[in-house]
Amino acid sequence: MSIPAALRRRTPRGKPTAGRGLRLPLSSCAVAAVLLAVVLVPLLVPLDEQAVDLTDKLHAPSLAHPFGTDDVGRDVLLRCVYGLRVSLLVGVVAALTATVIGTAVGAAAGAVGGRTDRMVMRVVDVFSSVPHLLLGIFIVAMFRPGVWPVVISVGLTHWLSTARIVRAEVLSLRSRDFVDAAVSGGASRWRVGVRHLLPGVLPQAGLAAVLMVPHAIWHESALSFLGLGLPTHRASLGNMIQDARGTLLAGDWWPTLFPGLFLIVPTLAIASLAGVWRERISPRRRSELML
Amino acid sequence: MSQGTGAPEPLLSVRDLSVRFRMRGGREIAAVTDVSLDVAHGECLALVGESGCGKSVLASALLGLLPGNARVGGSALLSGPGPGEATDLLAADEATLARTVRGRRVGLVPQSPAAHLTPVRTVRSHLAETVRELTGAKGQALATATVAAARRAAFPADHLDRYPHQLSGGLAQRAATALALVGDAPLLLADEPTTGLDRDLVERTVDELRGHADAGRGLLIITHDLAAAERIADRVAVMYAGRVVELTEARGFFGAPGPRHPYARGLLDALPERAFRPIPGMPPELGDLPAGCAFAPRCARADAACSTVPALSGTAACHHPVTAPEPAGCGIRSEGSRT
Amino acid sequence: MTRTPPALELRAVTAGYDRSAPVVRDTSLTVDEGEAVGLLGPSGCGKSTLAKVAALLHRPYGGTVHLGGVQARGWRHRAPRAQRTAVGVVFQQPRLAADPRLTLAALIAEPLRATGRKAEALARTGELAGSVGLGTDLLGRRPHEVSDGQLQRACLARALALRPRVLVCDEMTAMLDASTTAALVTVVEEYRTSTGAALLAVGHDRTLLERWCDRTEEMPCTAAGGPPLRSRAPDPVSVPGFGPEAPSDH
Repeated sequence: MSIPAALRRRTPRGKPTAGRGLRLPLSSCAVAAVLLAVVLVPLLVPLDEQAVDLTDKLHAPSLAHPFGTDDVGRDVLLRCVYGLRVSLLVGVVAALTATVIGTAVGAAAGAVGGRTDRMVMRVVDVFSSVPHLLLGIFIVAMFRPGVWPVVISVGLTHWLSTARIVRAEVLSLRSRDFVDAAVSGGASRWRVGVRHLLPGVLPQAGLAAVLMVPHAIWHESALSFLGLGLPTHRASLGNMIQDARGTLLAGDWWPTLFPGLFLIVPTLAIASLAGVWRERISPRRRSELML
Repeated sequence: MSQGTGAPEPLLSVRDLSVRFRMRGGREIAAVTDVSLDVAHGECLALVGESGCGKSVLASALLGLLPGNARVGGSALLSGPGPGEATDLLAADEATLARTVRGRRVGLVPQSPAAHLTPVRTVRSHLAETVRELTGAKGQALATATVAAARRAAFPADHLDRYPHQLSGGLAQRAATALALVGDAPLLLADEPTTGLDRDLVERTVDELRGHADAGRGLLIITHDLAAAERIADRVAVMYAGRVVELTEARGFFGAPGPRHPYARGLLDALPERAFRPIPGMPPELGDLPAGCAFAPRCARADAACSTVPALSGTAACHHPVTAPEPAGCGIRSEGSRT
Repeated sequence: MTRTPPALELRAVTAGYDRSAPVVRDTSLTVDEGEAVGLLGPSGCGKSTLAKVAALLHRPYGGTVHLGGVQARGWRHRAPRAQRTAVGVVFQQPRLAADPRLTLAALIAEPLRATGRKAEALARTGELAGSVGLGTDLLGRRPHEVSDGQLQRACLARALALRPRVLVCDEMTAMLDASTTAALVTVVEEYRTSTGAALLAVGHDRTLLERWCDRTEEMPCTAAGGPPLRSRAPDPVSVPGFGPEAPSDH
C-alpha cells in the first residue's frame, strides 16, 4: 500500500510524558540495587552484631567508613545494609502473610455472600476501628523480642484492607455475565471460584501485597523505634534511628540520616513500581486500539 | 465525488484519510484506508458498516482523539472559521483542536449518554459548565443561556435539575445532544448514538438529529443500524475493512435501484425485513487484509480482476458492481420523517 | 389427550432486585418443545431478569420454573446440574459474557470441562467453533483480540456445547450488525432443527423477533415497578413536532 509515506504521528492529548518515562527505569534500578546489596554484601562482609569499638566511635563519613560510625564505633553503612535486609525480610513476609489472610477472608466473604459476608465484614470493621500500630504493639508485647513476633504483628494487623479490596473485586466479578454463563454451563462453586473469580482478583491482591511491603517496613521500623520490635543489638533501620537519636542533637547527623535514607528510598521505589503495575492492570490502559 | 446538496463548498471535506495503528511486535493495523467523503451544510451522511470496520476510528481521527500509536494520512478540511478559510483537522495541533474545534465547530453526540454525563451533577450544572466554557457567559446571562441550550435539544426545562440516573434513555440522549449543541457547532458527529436503545427511542433520537441537519447543520452519523441510517440519511457511505466501498444517495440505496456494491447489497439482504440471509464468512482482520479487494473472499461475483483494489468509481468501489435493477422486494422504507 | 410437557414454563414469576419493587410481576410464559418464542418489551421492563430466571440464574421472589414438566428445585449452584445445563444462555454483551483471560477455545470448551468431559472438550471444540462460523485460526485468541461479532459467535458456541433443550437468547444481537445478526440466527435455527430444542429470544426489535420466532409475547411493563433504570419508563415528555431553533437565534 502506498499510504504510509504520508502518515504522521499524533501525540494523543498533549500530556507531559517525560516524568512517566523515567519512573519505571529509575525505580527498577533502585529496587535491583537494593536486592543486590542485601544479597551480596552479607556474603562478602560478615557483621558481628555484638562487636563494638569505642576507640572508633562517631567518625564522620570517610573513605574507611563511607557512612561514618555510630556512638559505639560500628560501621553505619554495613549496619544499614544488614538493617535493610531484616526490614525487607520482615516487610515481604509480613505483607505476604497479610495478603494471604486478606485474600482468603475477602474472597470467601465475597463468594459466599449473605449473612456470612455481613458478619465477616463487621469483624473487619471492628478491627479497622482500632489503630493498627496499637494493635501491633499489643501483639508484639505478648512475645519475646525477635523477627517473628514483628512479622506476626504486622501480618495480623494489615490484612484488613486487602480483605476489603478483594471482597469488593469478587462482588463485582460475581455479578458479571461470564460468571452467570459459567454457572449455566454446569460449573461447580469451586470451579467458578478458582477458575473465574480468583484469577480476576489476583492482580489486585498482588498489587495490594506489593504496596504493603513498604508499609510493613515502616511498621517494623516504628515498632523497633519504640523498643518493641527487634532486640536492640540487632541491626535494623528502626533500631539504628532510635540509637542515633541522642547523637543527632550533638551535631552528628550521619548515624540518623543514612538509615533514614535506607528506609525512604527502597520503600518509595517499591511503591513506585507498584504504581506502574497498577496502571498496567487498570482497564483504561488495556486497549491500545479503539476499534 | 458527488457534491452535497447544492452547497458549493462542503462543510467537511475528507480526502484520502488513512489511519494505521502500530501494534506491539511491529504488526500494523490498517484501520482506515483512503477514505474520501464530504458533508455539506444541512446534509446528513450516514457511515455504516460492521463493528470493527474502522468507522469509529474515523470519528476519533476527525476529533484528534486517536491513541498515541496511531499514524494518520490525508486531510480533513473543516470550512471556517472565516469565509473561504478551512482547518485541516488532521494537521491541527492539540491546542487548536481543544480551544477552537471540539465543541465549538464539531459537536460530538456520544454513544452512551448515560456514561457521558457525570452521575453526581444535574443536567443544569453540566450545561452551565459547558456554556461558561464555550461562551464565557456569567451570572444571569449564563442561566438564560443554559435554559436556551436545553431548549435547542428539546430537553424540557423542568427536568434540568435532575440527575442523569433520574432521566429516561431518551432524555439522557437529549441532554447529551444539548451539550453537543452548546457551541453551536456547524458539524455534528454522532458516533453510534442509538446503540442499546429501543426501536421507538432510536427513531425519536434520529428524528431529532435529523431536525438539526434540517436546521442547517452538517451531520455525520456513524452507525451499524441500517434502519436508523435509512430514516435519517441523505447519503450513505458503506465502510468495509477500512475503506468506503459505496457512497451514494440514501434514497436509491435503500429503495430502488438498491446498492451497487455486493457487500452493501448483502448487508441489506441480511435485514430481517428482507431476505434475512447473512453474508457468508466474516470480515477480514484489519491487520491482515487480503491483497486486492478485501471483500472478494466472501463475494459471489469475485474473479481474477478482484486481485487488485478497486477504486471508487461512480458510487461503488467494485470491479463487478450490481447494475441490473434487481427486484427491490419489500423495502424497509418506513414512514420516514424526512420531507 | 396427553400432550408433551412444555420445554420451558414460567408460572406466576415475580422477580427483581428489590423485594418491595420487583421488576417482573406475576408473569407466566410457556415455550413448547421445538417452539421459538420471542419476548418483546422496552428496555428496563424486566425482560433480562425474566430470562435469567428462566435459565435458573436468578432466584425469583415468587413463582416457579418448569423444565420439561419438572419443577426447578433451586437457583444458580443450588439447581441440579442437569437442570442448569438444560438451558443454554447467550447474553447481550459478549465482552461482559466472556472471561477476559480465556482463549476462545477455552471459552467454548468451558461447559464441557466444567462437567468433567475433558476428552469431549478436546474433540468437539473445533466442531463447535465451525458450527458458528469461527475458523480455527481464531481459537487461540483472547476476547480483546477479536471483534464483538466473533466473540458473540464464541459465546453462542459455548451455550450450545452441552446441547441444551432450551436456548435463552437475551438481546443476543443488539450490539451486532445486520449480517452477523442473520448469521447467528441461522446458527440457532440450524441447531434447533437438528435437535428440536426450544428457544426463548428476548429483545426489543420487533421486526427481528417476528421474523425469527414462531410467536412473540409482549412483556407487560408495570409502571409501578421500581426506581427508573437508565431508560426504563417511556419518555415522559412527548414532543410531537419540535424543531430546533434556527442557528440565527443565538
